[in-house]
Amino acid sequence: MSDHNCCNNNPLVPLQCKLIGITEETPDVKTFRIQCADGSKPFTPLPGQLAMISLAGIGEAMFSITAQGDDWIESAIKRVGLLTEALHSADIGDAIGVRGPYGNSFPADALKGKDLLFVGGGIGLAPVRSLILHVLKNKADYGEIDVLYGSRSYADLVFKADLFENWPKQLNTHITIDAAEDGWDGHVGFVPSYLEEKAFSPKNRACIVCGPPIMIKFSLEALERMGFAKENIITTLEMRMKCGIGKCGRCNIGSKYICLDGPVFTLSELDELPDEK
Amino acid sequence: MTQKLLLKSALPAALTALLADHAVFAPTGEAERHAFTCLSSAEASETADAVNLDGLTTISPKEILFPRSETLYGIGLENGEISTPEPTGPTVIFGVRPCDVRSIANLDCSFLEKGFVDTAYVQRRENLTIIALACKELQSPACFCDSMGGGPASAEGADIMLTETADGKAFLVSFLTAKGEAIEKLWETASVLTEPNSADTAPPPPVCTLKVDKPQDLPAKLMAAFDDPAWERLSESCLGCGTCSYICPTCYCFDIDTEISGGKAEQLRCWDCCMFSDYSRMAGGHDPRPTKKERLRNRFLHKLAYFDERHGRTLCVGCGRCIAKCPSGVDIAHVIEWGGTL
Repeated sequence: MSDHNCCNNNPLVPLQCKLIGITEETPDVKTFRIQCADGSKPFTPLPGQLAMISLAGIGEAMFSITAQGDDWIESAIKRVGLLTEALHSADIGDAIGVRGPYGNSFPADALKGKDLLFVGGGIGLAPVRSLILHVLKNKADYGEIDVLYGSRSYADLVFKADLFENWPKQLNTHITIDAAEDGWDGHVGFVPSYLEEKAFSPKNRACIVCGPPIMIKFSLEALERMGFAKENIITTLEMRMKCGIGKCGRCNIGSKYICLDGPVFTLSELDELPDEK
Repeated sequence: MTQKLLLKSALPAALTALLADHAVFAPTGEAERHAFTCLSSAEASETADAVNLDGLTTISPKEILFPRSETLYGIGLENGEISTPEPTGPTVIFGVRPCDVRSIANLDCSFLEKGFVDTAYVQRRENLTIIALACKELQSPACFCDSMGGGPASAEGADIMLTETADGKAFLVSFLTAKGEAIEKLWETASVLTEPNSADTAPPPPVCTLKVDKPQDLPAKLMAAFDDPAWERLSESCLGCGTCSYICPTCYCFDIDTEISGGKAEQLRCWDCCMFSDYSRMAGGHDPRPTKKERLRNRFLHKLAYFDERHGRTLCVGCGRCIAKCPSGVDIAHVIEWGGTL
């Protein structure tokens, strides 16, 4: 596990950081680049790990870490509630609190030598992107890479620079939107059905899935029909969290805490847990 | 281990000796207000008079280690400066019943184990000495500690054990740990202890009348019944009021929220309850436990299965408070019994 960082050695007290970059991804998703107030990197997360992000006087919530650089981390955050609304009104230079990283991570080492199929829906590409970037950085270790991603509309597709410029040069992209619209000549339809249409071979291939609960549910079913073994289907879960350190009690599924034991699970691990996702 | 005698007439002096360099919590008040409060050192005799050692307190002593509300840190809204509360000093809880003492071991599991150590909790816990009081009589018809691995005279987790003598005039005192022995020295210096004689004996401890048949494999049995329609029926009468978890000595779920005062944002930790409708609802509206059925099932499975899987202990000590106080008759003993029949 990578080292946890916080303030005053108290895991519930955030590091004082600042926003050093804000990218508008969609009408309701922005990517926030975060650095410690002293210019250092808050911490070095593993792909798939989480950060507790806060604004003083507003609140605190858990987000996946989308990317990282030498002296920053990034989170792509959808505007859905009180804190995210305030984050979306923030400016570069604003103070922001961060503690983490939390949770397990994608099994980047165990995936070496395999073909990888990433399946994402909406903001669900955000947690998966940390692994895609890791894999692209270490491309020789992995086989063929496919990204199948969909959103409600073209405007709602996140990371467009990656989807349409960077990634097509390095991996296979399969982009879909839910309903036809003017100017879109790509695929139209929901992610799970597009997935079955593409008929990816399960042979030596692992699949990493993240998106809205309903998309995950149907995608997992589709992948099983396509012959993927449960051990080769990996997803990352979201639950409400307050502490991030396995104490506050609310992110449990059965005896597992998503903040500590998750958020990443294989389908065979998920099958061991009660159906409360 | 030798036993000493503490005469009830020496109790004011014993408490005064503790108050010299400890915060001392003891049961005070009556009925609904019977709870552990911090004794003031002003008047030793008055203080001792306020102590009410009869019966089980309505409110458990968990708030001494895990306050119902506490500031985790403050942050200056202008300068971003972080301030953390002063740590508490040496603390004694006096007169804790064996079930409540055992509940502290459960809190320890959650706040100290499995990865992270909770800073505020560990600081209070290390500074805490527990003076337990064995039950001479049954505290309530809802008590069932001896079905849950404890007992009315169990000393598990105590630093000092007090057992009332048959004549009711004194306590036999056992000093069980290094923390307990430090208090023994303090009391020796204050000359509040005497040597017991052969007549100073404790009567046999009472036996709980409520017997709950808790099978060894209760977690597995309940997990196998995850989709049983019984959960729906059980939850029908629940009001979702949260009384059970507020008075429970082992419930530890908390909320963290922000309050702004005096140019500072205070990050507060408060008791929470898994039966509340917004407990696990996420921004955006998705709730993995959307109705009372899922919430009640999660509450009982957490107590009787999940915690056991994680920490090897049941998250219920059989104090019976929730059974006595639930306004609609939801009864954990029934759930355990039902689990046993599966």
